[in-house]
Parts: sequence; structure tokens; C-alpha cells
Amino acid sequence: MAVSRRRLLALGAGAAAGGFGLAGCGSQRSLGGSDEITFWTWDRSVSDELVARAETKGIPGAEGFRVSRTKIGGNYNTKVRTTLAGKSMVPDIIGINSDVATFFPNQDVFVDLNDFGAAELKSRYLDWKWNQCITPEGRMIAFPMDTGPTALFYRTDVLKEAGITTDPEELAARAPDWDGFIALGKELQKSQQRAVICPHLRQIWDIRIGQLGSRYLTEDGRYIGDRDEIREIFELGYRVSKEGLSAGALDGSNDVEGVVTSGRQAVAIGAAWWGLAFPEAAAPDTEGKWRVTDPPGGAGNQGGSFLAITKYSKDPEAAYAFITWLQSPENQVKAFTEMSLFPSSPRSFAMPAMREPRSFYGGQRTIEVFGESARQVKTVYRSPYDRVIDPVMFDEMANIDAGKSVEAAWKDAQDAIERELTREGVL
Amino acid sequence: MSFTETLRGSAGKLRGNAVKPPPDGSRPQPGWRRYWPMYAAVSPFFLLFAVFGVFPVAFSIYLSFMSWDGIGDMKSIGWENYEYLVTDPDFWQSIANTLIIWVLATVPMVFLALVIAYALHTTVRFKAFYRVAYFVPNVTSIVAMTIVLGSVFSDSSGLLNSMLRVINAGEVGWLSDPWAMKVSVAAITIWRWLGYNTIICLAGLQAISSDVYEAARVDGASNRQTFFRITIPMLRPVILFVVITSTIGGLQLFTEPQVMFPDDSGNVGGPGGEATTIVLYLYQQAFIFNRFGYGAAIGWALFILIAAFSIINWRLVAGRSEDATGTGKGKKKGKGRSRAR
Repeated sequence: MAVSRRRLLALGAGAAAGGFGLAGCGSQRSLGGSDEITFWTWDRSVSDELVARAETKGIPGAEGFRVSRTKIGGNYNTKVRTTLAGKSMVPDIIGINSDVATFFPNQDVFVDLNDFGAAELKSRYLDWKWNQCITPEGRMIAFPMDTGPTALFYRTDVLKEAGITTDPEELAARAPDWDGFIALGKELQKSQQRAVICPHLRQIWDIRIGQLGSRYLTEDGRYIGDRDEIREIFELGYRVSKEGLSAGALDGSNDVEGVVTSGRQAVAIGAAWWGLAFPEAAAPDTEGKWRVTDPPGGAGNQGGSFLAITKYSKDPEAAYAFITWLQSPENQVKAFTEMSLFPSSPRSFAMPAMREPRSFYGGQRTIEVFGESARQVKTVYRSPYDRVIDPVMFDEMANIDAGKSVEAAWKDAQDAIERELTREGVL
Repeated sequence: MSFTETLRGSAGKLRGNAVKPPPDGSRPQPGWRRYWPMYAAVSPFFLLFAVFGVFPVAFSIYLSFMSWDGIGDMKSIGWENYEYLVTDPDFWQSIANTLIIWVLATVPMVFLALVIAYALHTTVRFKAFYRVAYFVPNVTSIVAMTIVLGSVFSDSSGLLNSMLRVINAGEVGWLSDPWAMKVSVAAITIWRWLGYNTIICLAGLQAISSDVYEAARVDGASNRQTFFRITIPMLRPVILFVVITSTIGGLQLFTEPQVMFPDDSGNVGGPGGEATTIVLYLYQQAFIFNRFGYGAAIGWALFILIAAFSIINWRLVAGRSEDATGTGKGKKKGKGRSRAR
């Protein structure tokens, strides 16, 4: 078709108008249509089936609204931050990972869920998880999703070979603390020379700090990461390394899976998702040989996530109706059976789907261990600066694994943290 | 600012040096009414360049004087980011790491590229196949390949160490020993960029007139003499190009160490940060620790570093007397050779 000059000009004008129209959308602060509650998460963070239901049939409890979910790939945190910084086209609801505290300094970009009566639902959820959503100023900026209570995973065939009991309760009694856990590792080394209890010392740090009653900062911003309790983790790591019980692998490398699949690591303290990520996915032929029991050194939590409603939301009430429905005890069970996301509501633990025997664990009802562990996790304040301090500690643990002395590692860690916190204006 | 000025300004930024306006009277001054359709026709590029090229650059300068966590308000802090930068041991470590990896990668790579290009140039059969074969690593997804190579370099379950164990040569901590870590990152860089540089050298070789070679053969020059006395000097501009692009690429090294030393906890560049490159450090500060102002300052430090190294390279490889336009070739070549002797 020949395009006349007039027609071309008209098309050009139309395109320009369209362009300005798009630019005009910049003033629209919330993403999506007026009846659309927009929702950003990463893959495998919520039950796809439940979200699909809310996308097609609407949100239960909020007539006339439906959900529109986007799975954000790549660097999720960066995309969320840049969108919030742009202050326009912001989704109504965003998923937040376990580092929810990094948003505390910007708490006013989220609605306070207490304004919608969130307090009424408090009894449904684990206390320590609920408290992680609340800023030191008392605003509830997020809502609990899944959790990661820890347990001791062990392989019965390897333990039997070493002449160690495979009964969950007897084993838990044998290794109630870290001394017992190290002794267990030594015992395993008698029948299998290269046996280890952790892939690298960083994991020891991560698990041990999760068992303590506090981390690095108090709620009023005082640094407490230099106390003896923390230093003892370095010493614990040194002992594990000296006994040859750390594989010294690089965190995130194939070697971490290798120690599990090769059977070198027959005992492991891990969160509920650990079993899925390691033996179940990487060593499926060990099905039926694994069991879980109470973790040495006490319960702890690793991982877990949250949902938050942004202040740009077109209808926070509808968004609130959606997240409370999605995270109701019944639907958390659904997320567990579909995606293995461990619930944050103790009411879920009693439901039949959760109590089913798991064939990978030789027919054991693993919820009895994980549920108990989840209840025992201590309420701990996580500061916005934990994200900066953790890497320093991890790095020094890796150095201890490589032969650095505890004294040098401790001094370097404290110096580095002092530098970081001074820069953040905390010290 | 008039449109021509914008145009010149952006072109100047692109090349990093000022473009002088044409001398008066060299061409007729454009009449706006006569030329606007032409300007309109070429404007999309400049508009897009202004939005996606000039603005981010200008904004990153502005940002480097701010303290910003990505969401809250920006706070102007003057030169504080730069002051912190010069006293930041991690930053200096990342510079040292980058330079070491760059030397470990670039020196053998340029040498190998020349040798392979020469071999390809003189091969008679399967030329096209070899060219494609050498170029393939460059178009392969680097993330996918680094994951594969990561399992080659893995300390205890890696292929390389398994082979070393078979011949009783012991183990090398490819992913944990400070030097071996740098060598493994450099090895991946070489693997990826060797073919690219080879193709460029090959193009340079083919541009050399065969008359010169014939004359050399008549004079009784050996292959070796031909390579070092004719090929290398004639390839000088190509080698310069290869070295400068390798420098820029080497100083911006990011993906290889990032995927080789995976970590979502906040540490980058493996144990002790021994493979943390400058860009990886920038990424950690800006996108993991949410210090966007500081990240921008690191970016500008990197810019200065690349500019400095490009100048040094140019002086070393091309010789002091060479000018950017490449005129006066014969004279300069003579000089370069006499200095080299």
C-alpha cells in the first residue's frame, strides 16, 4: 500500500501522541488497571495454583478485584528497589526475602499492616516470624510467608555401618549440642575416613548464629557483635576444621553437593528446604535412607520470606485481603505440598497434608521434628546492617577453614565491621 | 543549546575528546528551514542516545556525590565517597586482583592470537572451519560456559584435579588458593577471547600486501625472519587495537569471576575476595549492599583507570611519535624499529 504524505504525517502525529501518552503514565503511581492488584515475586515463592485462582476468579474477600502476578527474574532485589525509587508504576504487593530488615530505614514506602487489623491474626503465626515483620518503630511492614526451621538430617545406612544408633530420639540424645555433634563426626570418621559434618565453615556460622538469642545489633542500634558468644563460633569453626570435619568446599560450588551425593556428609544440620535442595534433588537414589531429628545446639531458622504492600497501592484493603488469604494456615499447607514452602503458621502443622509420612525419609513424619523446631526458634532482632556484617563473618570463617588463626580472624572481622558500621553511621 | 551543539556535544562524549567545529566557510551554514527534515530523520538516534547514553553518564556523576540506598532520599555528601574510596583496602585489593588477572590473561592471549592467526593465514585446507571453531567460545553464553568450567576447576570434584590426581601431581586449589583462583579466571578469559582476537589479527594479516612477502622470499628471508621483521611490524596498528580492547575488557572483567565464585550471601570473588575484580566490587557495593553513590564513585575510578591504561598501552605499543589519525606511517615505522633494536 502506498502511503501518502498526509497519511504518513497523521501516523507520525499519532505515534508522537502515543509516546506522550505513555510518558503521561509516569504520573500513575500504581501499576496495573484499577481492578488489578499487581504482585511481584520471584519464581517458586508462592503457590502458583492459588495465585492462578486469584488471577482468574478474583480475590476472595475483595469483590471486584483480581490479582496480576509477575515473576521477576534476575536480580529481584535491584528491580524492586529501582521501581520503588522511581515512585511510579509500583506494584501493589511485593515479595521480600529473609533480609526484610534492609527495608526498615525506608519503612514509610510500605503500608502499616496494623492499620488493617493485622494484630487479630498474630496468634495464627509463629511469634518470632511475626516479630521480624515489625520495625523498631513498631510499624508492621510485611506479612509472614514461609520459614526455614532447622533439623539434623542423617543417613541411616552410613550411621549403621559406623555402629551408631539410627533412632531419631536416641541420636538426638547423643548429640544434643555442638560437642556431641563433633563427637558424632569423629565416630563416623572411624568407618569412613573422609567423613565430614559440614561442606564449609560458613555453614557452621550461619546455623550457629541462628541458634543464638541475638545477632549483631540491638533494636536501639547498639553493636553487640563483639561479645564472647559470637567469638565462640570462630572457635567452634576452628575445632571442626582441625578435626577434619569440614570439607572446605567453596560455598555455592559443585563440591557442596558433591559431599552429600558422595556420602561423605552423612549428617547435616539444615533447614526444611535443605533436604529438598540437596539429597532429594542431587541424590535421589538415597531415597528412604534419610531421617531427621532435633538439631544439635538448639533450633534455628534459615531463610523464609515475606509479603509487603507498598504505599503506592491503589487499594491496600484488597491487597491485604489477598495476602491474608494467600497465607492463611490452609493455603500455607497448599504451598507446602505444591512448592515445599514450610509454613509459618503452627495451625498448619496439625493439618493432615502436613502430617503425611514422607517416603524419602523412610516414612517418617518429618513435621514432628520441623514443627517442634519451628516453635522453638528464638525471637531475634535482625538489623538492616546484618546484610553488611554477615559477609565479613562468612569470609573470616572461610579463612579459618584455610588455616587462619582464630585471633587474627577475630581481629580482622571486628576491624572490618567497625569500618562498615562507621560508614553506615551506626557507630 | 542548539541542536547542532547537542549533536556535537554528544559525539564528543562518545569519543571522549572534543570534536572541533568545522572551520568557518568550509561549508555553507545550514538553514533550519531547509534542513530540518534531515535533522528530524537522524534525530531518533540522538534522542535515544541522550536518554540512554548521556543521561545515565551525567546521573552517575551526580550520584557519586550522594549517599543513596536506592529507595530513600538522596543525601549530598560532597567528596566523601571518593575520600573513602582512596582509603578503602577492599577497593585497592580489587584493583590489584584485576591487574594481576589482566596480565595473566592478556599477555599469553595476544601472543597466542598472533600465532594462531599466522597459522590460519598460512593454512590451505579447512580455513573456514578453523575460523569458526576458534570464534565459537566468544558467542557461547558465558554464564553457561563458566558453570561448565566451574565443574572443571572444582577443588575436590573437578575434572582438572581428578586428572592431576591420576598423574600423582597433587591437587591445586583452583577455587580457594589466591593465585590459582586468578589463574583459573584468566584461563576462562583467554578461552573466551582468544578466537575474537585471532580473527582480528587474521584480518590484519590478510591486509598486508603479498608483494612484501614475495620480496622477502626473493631476498631469501626465512619464515621466522618474515614473521618477526615483516608480519609483526606491519601488524602494529592491529596489535595496538587488540591490546587496548583487551585492556578495556580485562579491567571490566565481571561475569567470569561472578559465576565462578557463586554466592548469594554478599561475599563476592571467592575466599578472601581474591578474585574480586573492580566491577565485581562495584556490583557488591551498589547492588548487594545498596550503596549506589559509592558504586557510582567506583565506576568513575574505573573510568579514570581505563583511560590511563589505554594511554600507557598506546605509548608502549604504538610508539611515542604516532598520532591518533595514523598518518605518516612510513616515517614512524622506521623510528619504532630502530628503538626496538
